[in-house]
Amino acid sequence: MRGMRLHGRDGIDAMKLEEFELDAPGPGKAKIAVHAAGVNFGDTLMVTGEYQEKPDLPFSPGMEAAGEVIAVGDGVDNVKVGDRVMGSIGYGGFAEEANVPAANLTAVPDDMDWATAAAFPVAYGTSHVALTYRSHLKSGEVLLVHGAAGGVGLTAVELGKAMGATVIATAGTDEKVDLAKSYGADYGINYSNEDIREKVLEYTGGADVIYDPVGGDAFKASLRCINFEGRIIIIGFASGEIPQIPTNYPLVKCFTVDGFVWGAYHRNKVDVIHEGYAGLREIWAKGALKPHISHRFPLAEAGEAMRVLLARKSTGKVVVEVRK
Amino acid sequence: MRAIRVSTLDGVDALTLEDIPPPTPGPGEVRIKVYVGGVNFPDLLMSEGKYQFKAPLPFTPGLEAAGEVIELGEGVTRFKPGDRVMGFFDYGAFAEEAVVEEKFLMAVPDGMSWEMAGGFVLTHTTSHAALVHERVNLQAGEVLLVHGAAGGVGTTAVQIGKALGCTVVATAGSDDKAQFALDNGADYAINYTTEEIRTRVKDLVGGADVVYDPVSGNAFTQSLRCINFEGRIIIIGFASGTIADAPANYVLVKNISIVGFPVGTYRRTSPEVLLRSYSGLSEMWAAGHLKPQQSHVFPLEETPEAIKALRDRKAKGKVVIKVRDEE
Repeated sequence: MRGMRLHGRDGIDAMKLEEFELDAPGPGKAKIAVHAAGVNFGDTLMVTGEYQEKPDLPFSPGMEAAGEVIAVGDGVDNVKVGDRVMGSIGYGGFAEEANVPAANLTAVPDDMDWATAAAFPVAYGTSHVALTYRSHLKSGEVLLVHGAAGGVGLTAVELGKAMGATVIATAGTDEKVDLAKSYGADYGINYSNEDIREKVLEYTGGADVIYDPVGGDAFKASLRCINFEGRIIIIGFASGEIPQIPTNYPLVKCFTVDGFVWGAYHRNKVDVIHEGYAGLREIWAKGALKPHISHRFPLAEAGEAMRVLLARKSTGKVVVEVRK
Repeated sequence: MRAIRVSTLDGVDALTLEDIPPPTPGPGEVRIKVYVGGVNFPDLLMSEGKYQFKAPLPFTPGLEAAGEVIELGEGVTRFKPGDRVMGFFDYGAFAEEAVVEEKFLMAVPDGMSWEMAGGFVLTHTTSHAALVHERVNLQAGEVLLVHGAAGGVGTTAVQIGKALGCTVVATAGSDDKAQFALDNGADYAINYTTEEIRTRVKDLVGGADVVYDPVSGNAFTQSLRCINFEGRIIIIGFASGTIADAPANYVLVKNISIVGFPVGTYRRTSPEVLLRSYSGLSEMWAAGHLKPQQSHVFPLEETPEAIKALRDRKAKGKVVIKVRDEE
């Protein structure tokens, strides 16, 4: 089989398309024939060794994939050979076959194509669990989404609307703001020329839940437009700037700052991951979700796919079509 | 009547004892003859104009007291003259008579002294409301880390945490205070002047699920390093004088929550949250879970010294003002 592989943690350019074979899946693992893989910021960190998880060398990057189960290891009972599955898999998605933790996998709905399935788990899983389980977003509340045209941001806009919230989207260009609006955002703020706090106060008087994959100035603005008993969910720092939270702010304004790492729940509380998938399946069945894929690349161009993401040229998701 | 007054925002030394007319209860309010008032950190901040809520000058400070009902405003139904009550005031408790909304009063339970009742409501309600609120959702079996555990609110958090079925780890600034916290019911105590909080918490219990923090500064920073997955750090105040910053990447990677819990704001915007705790605390008292606190008693004219004892962190347990002798 073919796969992109790294023999050192030397970055995107060191990743090469190679022919190799995998072992049979070990206990708790399933081997899948990968059809498509989603690209994530974590992949770009893993190839340089900056990610928390450091797979043994050589390895294929690709932490999110969809494919068909072709073998299962001991003790696997939640999937069987022939199942169409998707999930967060750790690494290995940029290859025609991957041995993945079976407990992380969920069924691909019949009416979902492979590329969509590969783009689905991380972005929708993160936003759904963040908004439901972690921050208890209620119908009628105001949801402010930073980086609203990005992979997770756009899904937060869609899910926020599906949950009955008023959604305000922030993004760095008019085009990105328009995209978020086309996905249902009630209001858009282009933070390159508008003041987030001022516009939020003007549109809705404040925000109840703030979904923040951006950090930096967006986070600082959030501190100044959050409502009583509001929740700021920290998802990541796409701006590259990690803010400091002055702890008198949450006290005086009576709000909560929640850190949320969806990936960590696979190790600590995998039931939460699957409850999220169950909720998403219902919303998908209603036709309320339109996964957005801005760029598609063949397997040999997985490096280019990662560069597009790093350059913030993409909107929604970037997908590697491994077997197209 | 005699009352402590704040006429300028120049701190505790500018407080004066004056003779002023007693206040009149408006609709829904009750006038009480105050026996004992409780001293709290916001009293210090209010004397300096640094508290979030500003009373119009001149005013009588004091956020909690216990006494006897002497006059009912229009529409008051729950109490009658002669009832022994304790309550959470807007301000005005450090005087021989004071007025408070009926809803913020509770009956002094049988067996509770004036001394304890006068310092009961605010600290117990703060801790109870914060710990049981859905924003924190402390569960039986979880590990509760209480900073400043020998202080006014810390003492109550230890007792309430135990009553809720938690393992309680207390921190305090001397061996004497650490022992005080153990005597008060804590399972473990850490003297943070000689021991590292993070290392000790990890050794003792592996990590904390909920951190109750009226101290901040280094105590807060240490909390970030010994908190469990899905842990909650409740920000109550900054008794150390240092307002800590939380690096957002810590909050993210450790998947924790920083929860601000301003009891004064709840009193104004969501009083039902506090009233729910009044009921919860009455039940805990009846069940014998809330032990009488050690108190430092000051007479009314020494209110500035009482507030300074709190400010300088000299007090163990509660500081109270004995406003008048029992008749």
